[in-house]
Amino acid sequence: MTVDVLDTVVTAETPEGILLELRPAGLSARFYAFVVDGLIRMVALNIVAIATRPIGGIGTAVWLILFFLLDWFYPVAFELWRSGATPGKRLFNLKVIMDDGLPVTPVASLARNLLRTADFLPLLYGAAIVTVLTRADCKRLCDLAAATLVVHQPHTTRKAERAAVAPLAPTRALQSRDQAAVIALATRAPVLTRDRLDELAVLAASVAGGDARPGPQLTQRVLGVAEWLLGRRS
Amino acid sequence: MTPLQFETLYQGEWEELETLLRRFLGTRRKSDPAARQGERLAALYRRVCEQLALARARSYPAYMLDRLERLTGDAHQVIYQRREFGIAVVRRLMSVEFPQAVGANAPYILLAAALLLLPTLIVGLLVYYRPDLILSVVDARTAASFEQMYSPTAESIGRLRSANTDWMMFGYYIMHNIGISFQCFAGGLVAGVGSVFFLIYNGASIGAVAGYLTQRGLGTTFYPFVATHSAFELTAIVLAGAAGLRLGHSLLVPGRNTRLDSLVSATRRCTVLLYGSTTMLVIAAGIEAFWSSAAWLPPSVKYSVAGVCWLAVLGYLTLQGRRHAG
Repeated sequence: MTVDVLDTVVTAETPEGILLELRPAGLSARFYAFVVDGLIRMVALNIVAIATRPIGGIGTAVWLILFFLLDWFYPVAFELWRSGATPGKRLFNLKVIMDDGLPVTPVASLARNLLRTADFLPLLYGAAIVTVLTRADCKRLCDLAAATLVVHQPHTTRKAERAAVAPLAPTRALQSRDQAAVIALATRAPVLTRDRLDELAVLAASVAGGDARPGPQLTQRVLGVAEWLLGRRS
Repeated sequence: MTPLQFETLYQGEWEELETLLRRFLGTRRKSDPAARQGERLAALYRRVCEQLALARARSYPAYMLDRLERLTGDAHQVIYQRREFGIAVVRRLMSVEFPQAVGANAPYILLAAALLLLPTLIVGLLVYYRPDLILSVVDARTAASFEQMYSPTAESIGRLRSANTDWMMFGYYIMHNIGISFQCFAGGLVAGVGSVFFLIYNGASIGAVAGYLTQRGLGTTFYPFVATHSAFELTAIVLAGAAGLRLGHSLLVPGRNTRLDSLVSATRRCTVLLYGSTTMLVIAAGIEAFWSSAAWLPPSVKYSVAGVCWLAVLGYLTLQGRRHAG
């Protein structure tokens, strides 16, 4: 059932023998997340700076330590916390996991964040940008070293809504691939324009029998076949 | 079986798993009954895996595959997550994992120590005999500020003129020194060149300052100052540098693995060193800010404490690691 497609999906096999499909996040999504995290850190540091100014020496120490912690351990803390994502990543539905689909481990999280300096070279994250853009799995150098992956969290599942159409038996036997194609058309029907739907339905005209001229009638019959294939009989 | 039959048959299980997952992924306290339903979760997970395989093989509609994929993905994350925090983990790290990593990385640690200490000695001696060489390392104003920092009349040794309390220096040491050690580590990704550079550079800087101050006759304040915290600080930088060297070595000489595999396994093996390195630098910053800088302590006390610290650190690294290596 796997088809060669132009896609960046990475598959990871679980001990249960299931192939998990992971969708690596590209440069733009990660950049936005990075900017949001940067802003959050900046605001936090400024608030603490204002709050600690009257305290003097200890205040400065607190600020410096906070600066250090935020600089190096902000991502580590959030990645190891249950969500596997910093607030910025969470905002854009990204998540850090191991490249075998498992939750990120402490050592991997530490490595991918402490090695960040290498990604920054030669300037402004140049190395990271080049590797993210050139690799199909969008890893930056540290992801390579730590064997981690930044993925899109599964988007909201596609709706199962279909237009109410009377089921219709196909006029010939269909292989499972063809069945899947007809059903896929029916599940996409609500989001397609009427003309485009008619156009696509013509491709499946041979399964619906009768008049093969494009139009709403043929479309209704093809959608009816899809209902029948899904299992409705009346 | 038609897709709709399949869906009606298993819908109940999917919904149950979805609710369970929501509870596991959401806020969870110990008293929460969801915490005791792990068995049910595992059973449902295995069933959903089976159903996903069936649904894929039968080319069921995409929305159903989506739902099943999402369920298996989420459940996989929950079931295989490792939730180990707390004292037991720290104790294991300190008594087993870190010393073991030290033992396993011993050649790199020795090399890193040499890369740090040889430049210290060489540059130190050079500057001691040719004091004007200090100006090729730092500018005249910085050199003067070193003298001021370590002058015997200073009320607090080693403190920048702008810093008004020990606390401030504590914060500064943490930020600055731990940053250096992380740089030594990350430099390893550039084929080890970065680590070698940072080790030699820091060694040379330390040597230059030490040689210069000794030559100016300020050794009596400088050495008691550095003796204690250097036990932790130099060791920590050597450890971080060693981790970086290992990364570089794994890239340059991957052996029978691909370069990438070699790097991944090296990273997993040497990152543990960073736990120890960071902890030591925090200790060092504390000592440097509050103990080393105290001008009222006689040098003899400082030297004795320094001796104990050096013995403790070196003993911990060598003996503890050896016991667990066998």
